[in-house]
Amino acid sequence: MLLTPFGKKACLRRKILSEVILKIKNLVTAFDTESGRIRAVDDVSFEVKQGQTLGIVGESGCGKSVTSLSIMRLLPKPAGIIESGEILFQDKDIVRTDPDKMHKIRGNRISMIFQEPMTALNPVHKIGKQIGEVFRLHYSEMNKKEIQEKSLEMLHKVGIPDPEKRMGEYPHQISGGMRQRVMIAMALACEPDILIADEPTTALDVTIQAQILELMKQLQRDIGMTIIFITHDLGVIAEMCDEVVVMYAGKVAETASVSDLFKNPSHPYTKGLLSSMPRLEYPRKMKLNVIKGMVPSLYELPRGCRFQNRCPYFQAVCETEPPMKSVGENHFSCCHFENLKLETRNSKLETRNSKFETRNSDQISSFKLQVSNLKMHFPVYGGVFWRKIGKVYAVDGVSFNVRTGETLGLVGESGCGKTTVGRAILRIYDPTEGDVLFEGKNMSLLGRKALRDLRRDMQMIFQDPFESLNSRHTIGDILEEPFIIHGVGSPEERKSKVRQLLNRVGISQDAVTRFPHEFSGGQRQRIGIARAIALDPKLMICDEPVSALDVSVQSQILNLLLELQQDMGLTYVFIAHDLAVVKHISDHIAVMYLGKIVEYADADTIYEKAMHPYTQTLISAIPVPDPSVKKQTRILAGDVPSPINPPSGCRFHTRCPIMTEQCKHEEPKLRIAPGSVGEGHLVACHRAGEVKSEK
Amino acid sequence: MANSPVMKFNPLTLKKIRRFKSIRRGYYSFLIFIVMICVSLFAETMINKRALIVHYEGEYYFPTYGDMIPGTVFGLDYDYETNYRQLGKQFEAQGKGNWILMPVVPYDAYENDLRENEYPPFPPSLKDRHYLGTDTVGRDIVARLVYGFRIAIFFSLALLLVNYTAGVSIGSAMGFWGGRFDLFFQRIIEIWSNIPFLYVIIIISSIVVPNFFMLIVIMAFFGWIGMTWTMRTVTYKEKEREYVIAAKALGASDWRIIFKHIIPNTVAIIVTFAPFSVSGGIVALTSLDYLGFGLPPPTPSWGELLQQGWANMSAWWIVGSVVTAMVLTLLTVTFIGEAVREAFDPKLHTTYE
Repeated sequence: MLLTPFGKKACLRRKILSEVILKIKNLVTAFDTESGRIRAVDDVSFEVKQGQTLGIVGESGCGKSVTSLSIMRLLPKPAGIIESGEILFQDKDIVRTDPDKMHKIRGNRISMIFQEPMTALNPVHKIGKQIGEVFRLHYSEMNKKEIQEKSLEMLHKVGIPDPEKRMGEYPHQISGGMRQRVMIAMALACEPDILIADEPTTALDVTIQAQILELMKQLQRDIGMTIIFITHDLGVIAEMCDEVVVMYAGKVAETASVSDLFKNPSHPYTKGLLSSMPRLEYPRKMKLNVIKGMVPSLYELPRGCRFQNRCPYFQAVCETEPPMKSVGENHFSCCHFENLKLETRNSKLETRNSKFETRNSDQISSFKLQVSNLKMHFPVYGGVFWRKIGKVYAVDGVSFNVRTGETLGLVGESGCGKTTVGRAILRIYDPTEGDVLFEGKNMSLLGRKALRDLRRDMQMIFQDPFESLNSRHTIGDILEEPFIIHGVGSPEERKSKVRQLLNRVGISQDAVTRFPHEFSGGQRQRIGIARAIALDPKLMICDEPVSALDVSVQSQILNLLLELQQDMGLTYVFIAHDLAVVKHISDHIAVMYLGKIVEYADADTIYEKAMHPYTQTLISAIPVPDPSVKKQTRILAGDVPSPINPPSGCRFHTRCPIMTEQCKHEEPKLRIAPGSVGEGHLVACHRAGEVKSEK
Repeated sequence: MANSPVMKFNPLTLKKIRRFKSIRRGYYSFLIFIVMICVSLFAETMINKRALIVHYEGEYYFPTYGDMIPGTVFGLDYDYETNYRQLGKQFEAQGKGNWILMPVVPYDAYENDLRENEYPPFPPSLKDRHYLGTDTVGRDIVARLVYGFRIAIFFSLALLLVNYTAGVSIGSAMGFWGGRFDLFFQRIIEIWSNIPFLYVIIIISSIVVPNFFMLIVIMAFFGWIGMTWTMRTVTYKEKEREYVIAAKALGASDWRIIFKHIIPNTVAIIVTFAPFSVSGGIVALTSLDYLGFGLPPPTPSWGELLQQGWANMSAWWIVGSVVTAMVLTLLTVTFIGEAVREAFDPKLHTTYE
């Protein structure tokens, strides 16, 4: 049989829509570890209907990925085992299928795409060969030429520009978004019945995420396949899914249709997740709702309801196993309490919201940090003699000021230079050009000694709490190090200071003798913050401090950062790619694109009256966790160009929807936005003001 | 850091040690190896021409360690070192209640057990207490093997220490500072590694007879390169990690970063390499001795025994015992090495269904 792309199979499928295609019954997947056997997935049941998208949502360690790997029978051996339960794929039990026959199902009937497109493609094979392999495996009767044609067609289908050329390229030669498209092309090559997407957009930028989500939706319409979409992002769930399974600590907490879930969340965990997300439309610097604590480790699960130690409605009855109750049509919740009761309690929760007062707004304070025309170019070496052959224009002329006690948010996609700006301010990198004035002192004129002293006043919080703490040192050592480096106090004084710091960030005292890996991501981030505030700094650079964290922990950390700012009068430079988070915490926002600031304004102004087309797309690309909002997502074409060879004129012109001839040649200056007064709103676009933002 | 006890193990390290223990083959090899080293340390009490205890006219003597006791002390007519084996026979013949306790193997590694009308090598014999026979000049093979092992193992441990000290410090400096410093050393290493190691040894040992320490220096001269390369690469990787940037942002000096942050994080690699370096050291010393460029005779050495065995194939016990000893030792060390590697990186051993 020679298949035509999205032909017969697809037509057949559309006819049998809404039949159950995959049914999981009481699935238990366990792992043998050195401390005994743990159940990563414990008694999970759900079903997926033909042609629908099922979302599985939950924080890390909740068993989402293990569930999907169980469906594929791709558990790591010998540790992982499916203990019991059934996975019925078209009435055939996958759990009891002979491993040899799984090859026929995997890739052909059920396929999967992974989070990291960088590692899921084999770097030594060309793109064309990797796609062709799928056909070679499943359609042995196809000859070379047919395979070639098919592969091309698939690449075309997933919207890869210039597919002939791409076929001959290696994975490292194409961007992350493109690689994810290739992954999708490979997964869809055999027109599978089910596509399992495990966090397919988590590693991608928002504008690229919007592209990929749109592509998946469109392909689903074309082929009529079923998608199981695994993510931690409720916004993506709202945008993509029909049905949702909320997982918590290896169990299903709630299943509902997407509209029900967002309208009447029933399980306290779901409610907590929904309310702890910072949203663009919320007022700024509000105290976020938090789910206290963290997901329990699978080694020390509480008896009964697994959410009990974090649940605001905890009662004695929770120590017994909660039943799966029906709370509506196709809506089940695994909780002892009925919906109504929760609703009344919930209102109490809402009133707790309060705003952080971080700055005395009457008083115009002085500038803590002035950055003018900062440039950071990294040399690129190559050729026979390893000579400089080019430059990466990581940061190319950035200027901004930050007032004492305020927060400046730096936002942009990966590769736009925001992290480099942060590091150049701290002089971890020596800037190529430009000045950084801290409290009026020019940092580039300072000697080694003076710089070291100044480092007491400027600190940094890092993105990855797993990376930024030295795993060989105890927490006590880590927190004591700043005092030792700057020769502060006697050993006893330092010890008591370490204890105060732990107290301040909400970590128990016994942490002193423990090591970083014994803590969860959120706790480590707290420790990182404790280290940063150890020497009473005045300026803090926060480099994506919450982007590696789960939603519920993210809100805890954001609250802590705002609290510290309020109490210590800190000035923040907050670097992030998530506009919702940045808007929540910042007073002013600078949007960066390819090493330049394209727009600068008040946080509210950016959200309400963005002028630059890039800012506008960034805002519209953020998935809104509300399925009833039917927004028009603007999708940018293409990828961020390479900073080695930035486009001429306006750097955004290659992707800009309102590009004119002028944009190609003339670089727009950062100027006062049309219609605004004073220097409050700056924008770098020739056509700013001509095109209205959607809001 | 200053106030934390040095030996407080990170729980992750403890986990690795637990994992190592659970790999039976490697763990038992490790125990056996430790026992072997301990035994060789106290070899004098088991393999010695001196007696363990001498009871002579109501007094006890312990000649094993300490100065030699002249024969006159025991009523003999010579004042050089007592021949205890003879003395024992004498005591027995006299039957005055004097007695002597000899070690299990009553010969040392340098002594030629010569007899009338017979020429060595002598085959193994329980009666003469030459359990593995003697070599071509009548020295006991057990004694040669054990003392040879002691020298070989301490040689390779010392070599390891020197190599690692040089390799770790130069390598981490190259990786950390990079740039010209790195380039300079890269070229040095490239040139260095092209010097033919064997010829240099041959030349040097034809001018001077190398002793233990000189041989270590010569070997380390060529051995530091491997560790340096590895450390350089690892340091390059580690220094880009955020905890290093965090330390920099705190104002830590370069030295502090290298010693407190980077090196502790490379311990896993250093430890994984160590057992293989030890077996490498043993093999290197043995082969040098075999070729006659190693430690000067009559130092007990496996290489020299191997050479004898090769020349006297009819005396099968020489070549048989030394080859068995080498295989067992190298196997033990290799098993340890494998287990360490597996304990430190169990991921390598996971497969997918």
